[in-house]
Amino acid sequence: MLQKLVSKPEFGPLVLLVLEIAVFTAWSPAFISPGNISNLLAFTPELGMITLGMTLLMTAGEFDLSVGSVFGFAPIIMWTFYNAHLASLEVGFLVAMALSAIIGYFNGWMVTQLKIPSFLVTLGMLLVVRGTALYITDGFPQQTWTSNSILMKIIVGEFPVGDLKIYASLLWFVLFSVILGYVLTESKAGNWIQAAGGNEQAARARGVRVRLTKIALFMLTALISGYAGITSSIRVSAANPNSGTGYELEVIAMVVIGGTALTGGRGTIIGTVIGVLILRLMRNGIVLVGVPGLAYNIFIGGIILGMMALHSWLERRHHSGV
Amino acid sequence: MPEELVRMEHIKKFFGRVQALNDVSLSVYKNEIVGLLGDNGAGKSTLIKILSGALRANSGEIFMHGSKVNIRDTTDAMNYGIETIYQDSALVTQLSIARNLFLGREPVRGARFLDRLDQSTMNNVARKLLKQVGITKDIPPTTPVSALSGGERQAVAIARAMYFESELIILDEPTNNLGVHETQGVLRFVRGARDSGHSCILIAHNIYHVFQVVDRIIVMRRGKIVADDIDPKKTTIETVERIITGMMTIA
Repeated sequence: MLQKLVSKPEFGPLVLLVLEIAVFTAWSPAFISPGNISNLLAFTPELGMITLGMTLLMTAGEFDLSVGSVFGFAPIIMWTFYNAHLASLEVGFLVAMALSAIIGYFNGWMVTQLKIPSFLVTLGMLLVVRGTALYITDGFPQQTWTSNSILMKIIVGEFPVGDLKIYASLLWFVLFSVILGYVLTESKAGNWIQAAGGNEQAARARGVRVRLTKIALFMLTALISGYAGITSSIRVSAANPNSGTGYELEVIAMVVIGGTALTGGRGTIIGTVIGVLILRLMRNGIVLVGVPGLAYNIFIGGIILGMMALHSWLERRHHSGV
Repeated sequence: MPEELVRMEHIKKFFGRVQALNDVSLSVYKNEIVGLLGDNGAGKSTLIKILSGALRANSGEIFMHGSKVNIRDTTDAMNYGIETIYQDSALVTQLSIARNLFLGREPVRGARFLDRLDQSTMNNVARKLLKQVGITKDIPPTTPVSALSGGERQAVAIARAMYFESELIILDEPTNNLGVHETQGVLRFVRGARDSGHSCILIAHNIYHVFQVVDRIIVMRRGKIVADDIDPKKTTIETVERIITGMMTIA
């Protein structure tokens, strides 16, 4: 029983998370104050959503560097349409989602049809999408307090739970996690995703539609990144063409820390959620305990290296044991 | 007269200016095990890849049960009942045995849109199949393939071919990299396949393995079939070796 638990890929990250919470709580009681938890739960779902899509994509053996750009781009589209009186907010939302999906499709098409590595394709897309967002807005943020559409309440309306202030985005994040966790481990599509990343040739020889699977995942990742960006823009009341810069690497770090293989074939949504919490709590906690904010990256980098060392150790032990 | 299962006619295949197959025709009958022999570069693998949908011929026709079929990809071939087992097994090592067995043809239960894998069926069938192909060790079907030995992996690939009731099972060097005991297991399977109504094409470098199990031997040389009706019971291994190397031809 215990043996089984320990051999799960999520076990290492879970231990790290529990340790982290224990250390920060002991160090600074403010860490578990309602105010701080509310604060944590406000932003975490936005980055977290992107990691969910990225988990499936990485399990299929690809990754996407353009997620941060799409995170900034989608809200710009939505609010520009609305503020310029071109469309209602709802239509603007649909246009932004459609464009995100097209970006994802294009990424997937370049990777699967032209056989260009996803690193290069999505690096190019990162620049194109970010550049477009900057060009459309002349680099200025878009106003987002101009509307009181019900859509905004649905996406990220806030409500109190006891002393906590909770945003609807947290519920969406939980819902997306459950759905995508189910897809990855319980569904036929999940089997295809893992096979596509594990051994593409073998999967294709068995009739798995690898291309379709990968393109669908690129689209999912772009869609969910755009949605996360829109969520963020409503919550902070500004759509900044630069928002989301650098998220791609933090997202990939979260996914990998959670136990998903960088090389594909193996992925875990539960692990990813744990990975998201590990890095978010770390950012929050080290500031609370008085580590200079500028030293944050030292810790993040240290944790990533440490987790990788742990992984390779577990992997070797696993293989030599059989 | 035995019933014909598959017939390939006038197959030609070029790779650039190199002609890999030069007007090759062959037939396989029901319940027949055919050994396909030939030196490296003789065109065995190319021919087999065309039959299994991995490559497309430049010209020529393929018939199953006497009617012409169009094999465009591996899915088509599998739908016609042609299953191929490669030397490296072509399994996804990260996935479990059961998930590999059903890869690409997963059973789904419940509402269609839920797309839910029927994991209990997959595991039960996998457990039974592993017994049938001679894995006596009690390996749970949820074990990842990466934890299996070479022979066990080959057994999983064979179990897959058996379960989906392929009419023709192509084994491309199935005994490469296998130990003595595991090789015997694979050869036993090939004999068993004939008894349960399958036909097989067996490609192997090791002529002794081929002689042990096949009904008929076809020899290829430089993209052509040079002998297609050698009876292993009436021919010596030396003779076949000489045909393969071209030191002797059959009139």
